[in-house]
Formats: sequence, structure tokens, C-alpha cells
Amino acid sequence: MQLLLPEMVLVTGIILSILVPNLGDAKFRIPLTRTRLPLLIGGARFKATSDPRVPAWISMFALTIALVYSYLEIGSTSGEVGGVIEITSFSRMMSLVFYASLLLTAVATTYRMPSRPSTRVPTEKDSEKITTVLISRLMDNRRQVDFHILLMMVGLGMSLMAMANNLFFMFVAIELASLAAYVLVAFHKEEATGGEAGAKYFIVGSVASATGIYGMSLVYLWAGNLDFDTLAVAWSSMDGLDPFAVVGVGLMLVAFGFKVSAAPFHLAAPDAYAGASSPVAGMLATASKAMGFVAIFRVLIGVAMPSEGEAIWFCLLAIIAVITMTWGNLAALTSENPKRMLAYSSVAHAGYMLAAIAAIGSGLGDENTTKLVLIAIVFHLTILVLFKLGAFLVLSLLETEGRSHRLEDLHGMARRDPLVAGSMFIFMLSLAGVPPLSGFLSKLLMINGIVNISAGSGSESVTAILPWVESVDIVFWLALAIVLNSAISIFYYLRLCLVMFFEEPENAKPLRKAVHLRNSILVLALLTVLFGFGSGAEYLLDLVDTAVSSL
Amino acid sequence: MHICINLGGGRLITEDPLTFITLSPIVVGLTLLILPQIVPDSASDYIKKISRPLSMGLAIAILGITTMLFLGQIGSIDWLNIGQGSYVFQSEPVSVLEPIGVRWVVGVDALSFPMVWLTALLIPISMLVEWDAKKGHLFFPLILIMEGALLGVFIVLDLFVFYVFWELTLIPMFFLILVWGGDDRRYASMKFFIYTFTASVLMLIGILVMYFNTGDASLGGSLTGHHFDLVAMTSQAAGDGLIASEGLRHFVWILLLIGFATKMPSVPVHTWLPDAHVQAPTAGSMLLAGVMLKMGAYGFIRIAVTIFPESTVVFTPLLIILGMASLVYGAVVCMGQTNLKRMVAYSSVSHMGLIFLGIATMQPLGIAGALFMMFAHGIISPLLFAVAGAFKHHYHTLEIGSMRGIAHHSPWLAGHMMLGWMASLGLPLLAGFVAEVAVLIAFWMTFGWLVIFPALTLIITAVYYLNSMQKTIFEGGDPHVGVLPGSLHGEEPRDITWHENTGMFILAAMTVLFGIMPFIFWDMMSDWSTEFMLETLIDAMNAKGVEP
Repeated sequence: MQLLLPEMVLVTGIILSILVPNLGDAKFRIPLTRTRLPLLIGGARFKATSDPRVPAWISMFALTIALVYSYLEIGSTSGEVGGVIEITSFSRMMSLVFYASLLLTAVATTYRMPSRPSTRVPTEKDSEKITTVLISRLMDNRRQVDFHILLMMVGLGMSLMAMANNLFFMFVAIELASLAAYVLVAFHKEEATGGEAGAKYFIVGSVASATGIYGMSLVYLWAGNLDFDTLAVAWSSMDGLDPFAVVGVGLMLVAFGFKVSAAPFHLAAPDAYAGASSPVAGMLATASKAMGFVAIFRVLIGVAMPSEGEAIWFCLLAIIAVITMTWGNLAALTSENPKRMLAYSSVAHAGYMLAAIAAIGSGLGDENTTKLVLIAIVFHLTILVLFKLGAFLVLSLLETEGRSHRLEDLHGMARRDPLVAGSMFIFMLSLAGVPPLSGFLSKLLMINGIVNISAGSGSESVTAILPWVESVDIVFWLALAIVLNSAISIFYYLRLCLVMFFEEPENAKPLRKAVHLRNSILVLALLTVLFGFGSGAEYLLDLVDTAVSSL
Repeated sequence: MHICINLGGGRLITEDPLTFITLSPIVVGLTLLILPQIVPDSASDYIKKISRPLSMGLAIAILGITTMLFLGQIGSIDWLNIGQGSYVFQSEPVSVLEPIGVRWVVGVDALSFPMVWLTALLIPISMLVEWDAKKGHLFFPLILIMEGALLGVFIVLDLFVFYVFWELTLIPMFFLILVWGGDDRRYASMKFFIYTFTASVLMLIGILVMYFNTGDASLGGSLTGHHFDLVAMTSQAAGDGLIASEGLRHFVWILLLIGFATKMPSVPVHTWLPDAHVQAPTAGSMLLAGVMLKMGAYGFIRIAVTIFPESTVVFTPLLIILGMASLVYGAVVCMGQTNLKRMVAYSSVSHMGLIFLGIATMQPLGIAGALFMMFAHGIISPLLFAVAGAFKHHYHTLEIGSMRGIAHHSPWLAGHMMLGWMASLGLPLLAGFVAEVAVLIAFWMTFGWLVIFPALTLIITAVYYLNSMQKTIFEGGDPHVGVLPGSLHGEEPRDITWHENTGMFILAAMTVLFGIMPFIFWDMMSDWSTEFMLETLIDAMNAKGVEP
């Protein structure tokens, strides 16, 4: 059980979030006596425990412990629990990513959906306007518990998913995380966009899940077992291609493709991101995406990878990757809403990572190069928490004063808060992959992995360019596609920076003082730089290396 | 860590001067930019106040150190005896990104040192010319960061770090254009960034292909087993060859060419340059033309030609076409320009064409000519841009046709303009002449009568310079009045300010100095080219059956 300490902490956190706010002074009188025993549940609530800030404290505390524990245990833990959970360095590394993302979401939400202990119930004397404000404040107070319970549920599901040793258990864990995430997306249901986003995300998501589960059932029909180890053995000993296995894996790819928002399953993503509150959108773009990639690792590389030669899914994934990144970037170019733009950029980043996975599937690489690509992807997923979520946190900061869905809302940020604007500039450059930021390093590692795997495939004997171009494996062009897409993407990232620095703000007042949120943004910006080169990058790469070695 | 310890001891300047001159401006510049944001207001005002003199002081100190390196007061180097493939002031390698084999290695040779000195010279001059820049507390630190990035490009011997510095130069320049630029600055800065960024990521693919073909495992990273070390790559290329497949070698060479040619820039990827120049502030233009364009030529010679000499021999016709096209097209377009800065920008495109031609000759003389062209153009074109900037500053226009006979109103400006124009069109005894003649002679030795095309272009150059000069400076009914541009609204123009004058004067003096005594740098460039020819190119030409 000690192995599952972070998850236990989260479960405790969930239970506490349910109990603590409801503690009250209700007493139970033992019949026929005058003795009254405190029952604690019911009656008038205690002032201290019914404070609306308590759920946020509980969830931040639980997530911090889980985060620190996962981090400490990356190098050392491994073990099995109950046959379906296998804790490895890799799963701990991924939990680290999930928890970090969720913790930042929780911090940002305390400002996005603040709890106000001093709010009173409106009386008849209040004007209509004040009444509305008071009611919305009371609602925010009431919703704290729900939000943080759901957030911890997401964390629990994701973390269990990364440890799953069994396909079925993995799906259950994904669903646990997803269902909680659907609600989080639709959390601001009083706003029209919130409800719309939630509904779209839920419908598309459940169709994708259903398809995936159908695929899983086909795989079960074929192998008779859903343990990853058994499946991998069955796949490599498969004579020819079994239609059940192939179709099953293909259908599961739909479910995972939705999670990582790969084209053509990404269509709900921009709406979901734009409708959800910015912290939740940031969570979707980092933790939820990382979850999808873990699933793809497990199924495509863990199971459906032949011991030698090209994998069956290679061509399909390569095409999806190129379409995803191009579509994402072109759509981001034309979107005027920063949240949608970041959503599309997130789609594009999924494309880059899928391209790297496709390169593994080409079967040209050896063990070392495959590991290199995996390190690149996990490293990218890890640092996305820094600069992708960082960008969403900046939008959250803007959202605290109303809105962040127009480019105009970013105007003149540099004048209102130079440090936050500078951080946003760093996040954007890192997303675009400009050295020496960490976004460059991860992109470089991915391109390097692809080039490493493929460029040797060209014929050695040819002496002119064109014959060589014909002889090189198709994987090589994936690297070129990433590079050209990065070049397109620089345009919209820079445009966002330009308006921050060179437009007159509509509202020249300094940004709201959200101390913890602002500090988180600054720390993320600092880490984005530190993990880009030197000992910081070496350290993180070492960590990821340990994690990937255990995969 | 090693670097920090050295800095603390203060020995860095004598023991590892190159690291010092690269990193100190970046550190100081960043500090001056960030510190005012996080300290209380009174301290922040103080920092803003000292930021200009401090930046200038550091820039002059770096110029001093670089000059002392050259004169042999630090390290006493014999610059004429640096062999092919060896570097001086090479630092102890420091691992930067151990897993993938990135190390901090610096060193200079006869190819890079003139560029280093040129950068160190131009930075204080461009600061001086824009001494009264608005928002100086941001302007001068940005120029310092620019200096560090530019010096980094020329001195690092690790391709990863090279690429980082290469891209790093974009960011300060982007802001220089965007904040202090002209009316259309947004379009220009975006175009500048996107063009050069796209080209350099293509170059990055080339570098990565080279990277994964490197052998020496002792240098390689623990994760990948490969390294980015340029020296080791060069020796491997000279030995067994860096990449086995010749087709791939050509492919990589083309990728590198795209990256470098866009920076240089060569026709047909030159279109960002005129826009960037016209919109950039004077100091930005000076650095852009003076040093940033040379990064392309430097990288091309240092990486593409040195590591893939055979591909260079094979693609010589392509180089000639590109060089010739830039030369002729740039010159012809110049004739039609009415905007002073745009004209100077196109003349840069034209002159950069000569560098390609010089390399394509495959003669020591031609290569040395190309190297000297890089240096000479690096002092002449900043002078021209300083002049153009002064026009903008005092006459509020850059239209050549809108003014006549301004020699009476601004005698100093007219004088500098005349010297700059003359140097640029290749008047003997000025720096540009040496380079042009060397390249043309080498071109004639290799390609015979074809030399008539570049030679004729020089005449076109003379036509457009003389034409614009005659109009703006001398022409006009009455030599004491002239025609003043409408943009002055009838006010009397001033002559240039003292700081503009000093800056231009130093550049003009350098132009004359290197025209009369080109051997200061010519000898080491010539030695380097001869050695380069013997060690690298001759073998490649023999292998390809080309008569050396």
C-alpha cells in the first residue's frame, strides 16, 4: 500500500472534502439519559470548517503531497499491486506531470473562481445588481467542494491509468479521469459557452470512448486476455495479421486520438478549451494530453509493435501526424481568440509527438534510437506543463477580471504588468521552439530522433541529390514536416506577443494582484528557461531517461 | 560552473577572453533589462540612468580586449601562423548538455577573428550614433545582448551552441526593429523573423544529419553517443568523410546553403532585407548590414564549405548563378530606388553576391577576397546606414528626389556620405577596392572572359551611387540654397550632431585605414585561404576531376 501513497492521499483528500465542510454541532441524545454525544455531521456547521476556502486547501495540500512523493520515488519505486497495477519509474514520472498540472490548475482556480468567506445572503433591501453579484458569489462558494473533488478525481484516474498493467483497468482509469474532466469543462454552466463546451466535449468524448471499448472487446476476442504482457506476446507470435487484433487496435486509436486531440478527432477540442475556464483548459492541454500519449505508448509501442520491421500502424500514424500538425497550425493562424489559438497550437504539438511515435513505428531504428525518441516525447510532455499551462495561467490571470477570449484582452499587457508579459513572451517562444528555451530542446530531441532513425535509410551509393531523395525512407520527411510547421507556427505566437507589447491597453490599470498565481507564472517562466540548457536540462533529461528505461 | 568560478577570480579575461566577451554583454544586458522591473522605484530609476554609460563602457572594454588580443598583448598570438583546423584562445571544453553531447568550446582563427573585431568595433559605434535614442534604458542593453549573440556566433566551435546564438541574434534585432523602427515596422520585423527563422530551422535539419553521423564516442553525449563539436566534425570529414552517402552530403549542403544564403542574403531569398533595413533604427541597420549578414557568409565557409568541400565543388555553378544573380539584380534594382536606405540595402545584396563569386573561384586569392569583402563591407555599409539614418533624423525623409544640394546645409553629412559612397563603389585606396579587385582577378583566372559580368556590374554601382550623390549633395540652382525636402516644413536643417559625427568619423577613418593598409587583416586572411585551399579544396577538386 505504501507504493500507492500518493493515490491514497488523493482518496483521503476526496473523502475529507466531502466530510469537512459538512461538520456541524448536531448531537445525539442517548435515549433515557441526558447525555448528548456530538454527532459532528448535521446541525449548524462550524464556522472554521465550513469556510469556503477549505476544499481548495485540502486539494492543494493533497496534490502537493502526491506531487512531492511521486517526485521522490521516480528513481526508486517499482512494484505490483493487485495484479493490475504496476508502479514503475515511468508511471511515477507521468504522475508527476499530472499532479503538477492539476496543482497549478487548483492554484489558478482559487483566483478564477474565488471563494469569499465574507459574502452574505442578499436581503430585500439590496438592489437587483448587488443581489446578482451576491448570488453568484454564494454559488462560487458552494461550488468549491465540487470543483476540487472533481480535480482530485481527475488526478486519481490519470495516475492509476499510468500504472495500469491491464488494458481493461487502463480504460476504467481513463474513464474515471475523463468523466470528471467533462464536468470540469462544463463547470461554468451559467455561461452559454461553458454548457456548450461541456456538451460537445462529452458527446464526442463518449463516442470516442465507446469506439475504444469496442476495439478493446475485439482485442479480447482475439487474445482472450487483456494483460499488456500477454497481449504483447500474442502480437509478436501472431501468424500474419489477425483482423480482430488489427481492427481492435485501430478502434482504440480513435479513443486515444481524441484524448491527444489528433486530427480528425480534434474538432471538439478548440470549443472545449474556449468554453472551459482557462485553468481547466490548461489542464486539458497538458495532463489530459499526456494521459492520451501514455495510452498510445502502452498500446502501440508496448503491444502492437513487431519485434522487427514496420509496424502495421506506421503509415496511418504518419499521415495522421502530418495532417494534425498542419491543420492545427493553419487553424491557429486564423483564430482571433487566444484560447482557441492555444488549443490549436496544442493540436499541432500533438502532431509533432505523433510524428515521433510514427518514426518508432517505422521499425528502422534500433533500441537506442527508439529510446531516444521516447525520451524526447516524455520530456516534451513534461515541459509542456511549464509553458503551455503557463500560457493558460496568464489567460487565467486575465480572466479574473472578466474575459480572455479576444486578442484585445491581451493588448498592452507589457504596460500593465511587464513581468507577466515577459513570461508570456517566453512561453510563446518556447512553444514556437526558439532556442535556448526548453521547448526548443524537446523539439530538437524529437527531430533528432526522427532524423537519426531515418536519414541513414537513404542509399549510400548514390552520388546525386534526387536519387538520394527517392531512396530515403518516408520517415525523414516527417522531420521536415515538423520543421516547416514550426516555421508557420512562429507567426501566430509572435502575433500574440506583439499585441502584448505594442498595443494600447483597453484598460490601463495594473493587472489584478493574484499573488500565488502570478508567482506560479514567474516560476514557470524561469523553469522554462532553466530546463532549456545547462545543468537544469541535464537533470530533467536524466530523470526522464530513468523513467523511459523502465517502460 | 567552470565559467562562474573563473569569473569570480577575475582571471577570465586573460585566460578565456572569448568566453568573457561573449557572455558578459548578455549577462549585463539581461540584468539591465530585468532588474528595474523587480527593484523599488528609486533604485530602478538609478539603474535606468546608468544603463547607457554602463553599456557603452562594457562595449568599449570589449573592443579594447579584442584589440589587445589582435596586437598580441593578451596571449601573444602569431596570427599568420594559425594552421587550417586549429584555433587560438581555445577554451577548456565545458559540458553544457551532457546527455546529447553539447559542449561550450570557443576559439578563433583567421576566418573568424576579423569578424569578432568588427563586431566589437561596430557595437560602440552604433551606440554612439544613436546616443540620444528614446527609451535608452531598453535600447542600450538590447544592443549589448545583440553583441553577445553576434560574438557567440563567430567564436563557438560547437554547432548546437552556434545554432542557439544564431537564433538568439533574432530576438534583440526583432525588438530593435519593432520598438524603434519606422512606420511599417510590424510588417518588417515579422517578415524578418519568419524568413530567417524558417531558413535556419532547415539549416538545423542539416546540422542534425551531420550530428548523428559523428563518430568519436569520447566526445559524444551519454544519451546519443554523438557530438556537435565542429573541430572533430571537420577532422572526421577530412579523414573518412562525415557522411557515407554522397547524395545525402549534397542534400545536407543544400539545407545549409538555404540557411546561410537567406541570412546573407542572396537572391531569391533576399526580400526580407530591404524591408527590415528601411524600418530598422540606425543602429539596427548598422549591425544588420555590418555583422548579421556576415554571419551567413561566415557560416557558409566555416560549415558548408569546410565540411563538404566536394559538394561545394559540385555545386560551384549554383554558387556562380546565385552570386551573379545577387550581384546584377541587386545593382539593377538599386538604380530604380528612390529611398536612400532601400538603395543601400540592395547594394548590400549586390555586394554579398561577390562573396559567393569569390568562393566559387576556388582560388586562394578569390577566397581571401571574399573574406576581405566581408570585413570591408562590414565597415562601409554601417557608414552608409549611419548617413542614411542621419538624413532621416535631420531631414525627416529618405526620398532621394526630395532634396537637392544639401552640402551647404550639412557639410559634415555630405562629406561622410561622399566617402561612404566612394568606398562602396570601389574607389582605390578605400577598403572596398581591395576586396573587389581580389575577387575579380581570381574570377578572371578561373572563368576567363566571364569576368565581364561582375566587372560591368561595378559600373552600374558607380552609376547609381554617383547619380544619387550628385542629386542630393551638389545639384540645385544655387549652391548656397539647394532644395530642401517638404518634410522639413520650411525649417532650416541642422548638421549632424557630435555623436553621429564621431561615429561616422571613426568608420570613415577605418575605411581609409584598411584601404591604405589592407595587410593588417589581408595577410592573415590570405594565409588562411591558401592553407584552406591546400588542405581541403584541392583534394576535393581532384576527387571531382576539376582542374585546380
